[in-house]
Amino acid sequence: FFFLYGFDSEEDLVGSLASISTNERIKAIQKMPETMRKKREIRNKVLKEITKKSRHRGPPCTQCLQGAAVFRRFGNTLSEYFHQLLWHKTLKIIGAEFGTSVLSYFVFLKWMLNLNIFSFLINFSFITIPQFLAAEPSNLSFTGLELFTGAGYFQQTVLYYGFYTNATISKVENGPSYNMQLAYIFTVGIYFVICFLILLFSMAKFFSRNFRHVNPQTFSVNASKLFCTWDFNITNEKAVKLQQKNLHTQIKEDLTEVNKEVLNFSVMERVVRIAIHLLAWVASVGTAVAACTGVYYLSINNLELFMKGYRNDLESQTAMLVLPVVVSLLNTLIPFFFSWLGHLEKFQTPGQHIYVTITRNIILKISIVGILCYYWLSIVATSELQCWETLVGQDIYRLVLVDFIFCLLGSFFGEFLRRIIGTTVCMSLGLPEFDIGRNVLDLIYAQTLTWIGILFSPLLPGIQMIAFFIVFFVKKVSLMRNCQPPCKVWRTAQMMTSFIFLLFCPSFLGVLSVIGVTVWRLKPSQECGPFRGLSSMYAAVAEWIQILESYTASKWVVWIYHNLISSELFFFIISGFVLTVTYIYWEIIQGRKTMAELLRKQINS
Amino acid sequence: MGNKQTIFTQEQLDAYQDCTFFTRKEILRLFHRYRDLAPQLVPLDYSGKPAVTLPYELIGSMPELKDNPFRQRIAAVFSEHGDGNMTLGDFLDMFSVLSEMAPRDLKAYYAFKIYDFNNDDYICKSDLEKTVNKLTRNELTPEEVSLVCEKVIYEADVDNDGKLSLADFQHMILRAPDFLSTFHIRI
Repeated sequence: FFFLYGFDSEEDLVGSLASISTNERIKAIQKMPETMRKKREIRNKVLKEITKKSRHRGPPCTQCLQGAAVFRRFGNTLSEYFHQLLWHKTLKIIGAEFGTSVLSYFVFLKWMLNLNIFSFLINFSFITIPQFLAAEPSNLSFTGLELFTGAGYFQQTVLYYGFYTNATISKVENGPSYNMQLAYIFTVGIYFVICFLILLFSMAKFFSRNFRHVNPQTFSVNASKLFCTWDFNITNEKAVKLQQKNLHTQIKEDLTEVNKEVLNFSVMERVVRIAIHLLAWVASVGTAVAACTGVYYLSINNLELFMKGYRNDLESQTAMLVLPVVVSLLNTLIPFFFSWLGHLEKFQTPGQHIYVTITRNIILKISIVGILCYYWLSIVATSELQCWETLVGQDIYRLVLVDFIFCLLGSFFGEFLRRIIGTTVCMSLGLPEFDIGRNVLDLIYAQTLTWIGILFSPLLPGIQMIAFFIVFFVKKVSLMRNCQPPCKVWRTAQMMTSFIFLLFCPSFLGVLSVIGVTVWRLKPSQECGPFRGLSSMYAAVAEWIQILESYTASKWVVWIYHNLISSELFFFIISGFVLTVTYIYWEIIQGRKTMAELLRKQINS
Repeated sequence: MGNKQTIFTQEQLDAYQDCTFFTRKEILRLFHRYRDLAPQLVPLDYSGKPAVTLPYELIGSMPELKDNPFRQRIAAVFSEHGDGNMTLGDFLDMFSVLSEMAPRDLKAYYAFKIYDFNNDDYICKSDLEKTVNKLTRNELTPEEVSLVCEKVIYEADVDNDGKLSLADFQHMILRAPDFLSTFHIRI
């Protein structure tokens, strides 16, 4: 094996291992393709070499070595706690029977659950707990309906923005004080920065692991089908047999070249195909626009009814649920229309069909969220409501809750009833397959709503956290009882990357712009919330900087604020720097590709 | 962190942690999985470095491996003498390479050895035929099997010697993004 490392003898290997840092050495030993016995031998030799060298060098730094070892063990233990055994066993069972592609949905759900736990902890500790200390008791009564509408009793609790005080909280006279305004805006701001970094690093990690430039000329379809599609994760006997049958079918199809349609279409046929595709796209975009218009007018109607006479009775409270139910119905039913459209258009490959359907669903969901944001930020915020932020918070709460209920119902109808129908009434349908694309888009939609709602309802991540937890187990049970493993395994490796990319690109960036507009442009309500009376939420920071200017000790903070954060030049420089770095990396990738091609040509000749 | 265990010495645990991708807890959990295969053969005290080897029949009966068509090759590749009988070190090594933390090159190296049925450091046509048959439960006709193998060699054989060397295999794996996620057994 030495040729893999380019070493002539074992002594050279031991020598070079002894001269690198501990972390690098451990990584190098772990990567060695040798038996355990050999690895331990080499490790012992390397350790002896190190102690010999350090004896020559003088008193060894046992502190550093021990410190490094303890640090590594601590890191290992920490990662163990995050990768708790509860998830491990569940994920293993799912992977064993359904394979890696379905498993990737559950891994993504677990990742989002962790993100929401983190959001909830941050918001709860920095915003809600101080508020508890300065809370006034609510004078409204609690009826069960509040859990669904989020209004009524909940209006005067920490659930919504309106309840938070704008005062500086201090329990002890002349003791440490806690400025609620600054706390609110800084917590939300820093939280979004951390989310941005987490998403960026996750994307980079998954992208670098899984992206392989696939040159169509050198991509070996059959070889990779043979060696790389067998999912070693699947350990259930029935599932293994199914996988073998699927591979058999795929190989047979490839051999008889069933899928490769003869691409010699006449001009007329090509025009007809393009016309059908165009028509389908017009129909989808038209449906999305129609859905948005409907939602917009319904919301305006809602607002008018609300403002005309707010009564706390059953009827008006239930009327508030109409909008979320309509939105969720649209989100559930229109995708079926899209996939029916997709069946009408004859796509050349099934992959194209899936991509187009997912794109249309994304367009639908983005437009619905977009129109709702427009309604909240332009109509609600500028109306003469007493506390518009709380109303927006309530709207989002209802949307999240109804979406959660529809998700559970969708599981019930889509999988349970479909299984009953497929096995008793209409035998030809068979068991349903788990629809990964639709489920992932639902998750991303729910997370987008949560992110938008954090500013208006700080406890929303906690609610979403509980919802995701329940969804995980309901989906798992439904999967195990009702579904069959997927027939065509579709691009497993790039799934997690594309999920996180979808989460980042339309979803997170969109949320950032909405929050940006809210913080910078909108006028907070006069009588409620931590920013009451200010001209914008950002004005709290501006005022604080003005106060700081009078203290000499914090001049550097003021300097940073004036020259870095509120100066446009700094952002130009940063953007220029990021673009340059991106360009350099792009060039490196291109260079590597060229080198790989050259090496290939060399081997061939 | 500080749980007292009496199975291994600290030095042994450190060695296992440095040589595999597992953490301390995972190593102890795997030890118990190993022991559960044959409690009467595997002692609870490994500090005396006992020379215990479990026969292939026990390894191949593990739920993670028992339905895998390549279980015999996997056990053979990771066992010391190529006969499928594994010591604890071999057992840990096997699951470490098959875990999700192992890098692509390491997995490709061992995957190559698994698919190399006749152990001649090349995947020749007969190796490929055996692989195809295992993957499809012998349901393809011999002509179809032969056709598939020829296609594979045509696509992946870069140095044109009629069989796949380790370099050809690694070159092909580099272009297959799914390999890391499918060549993975969770334990």
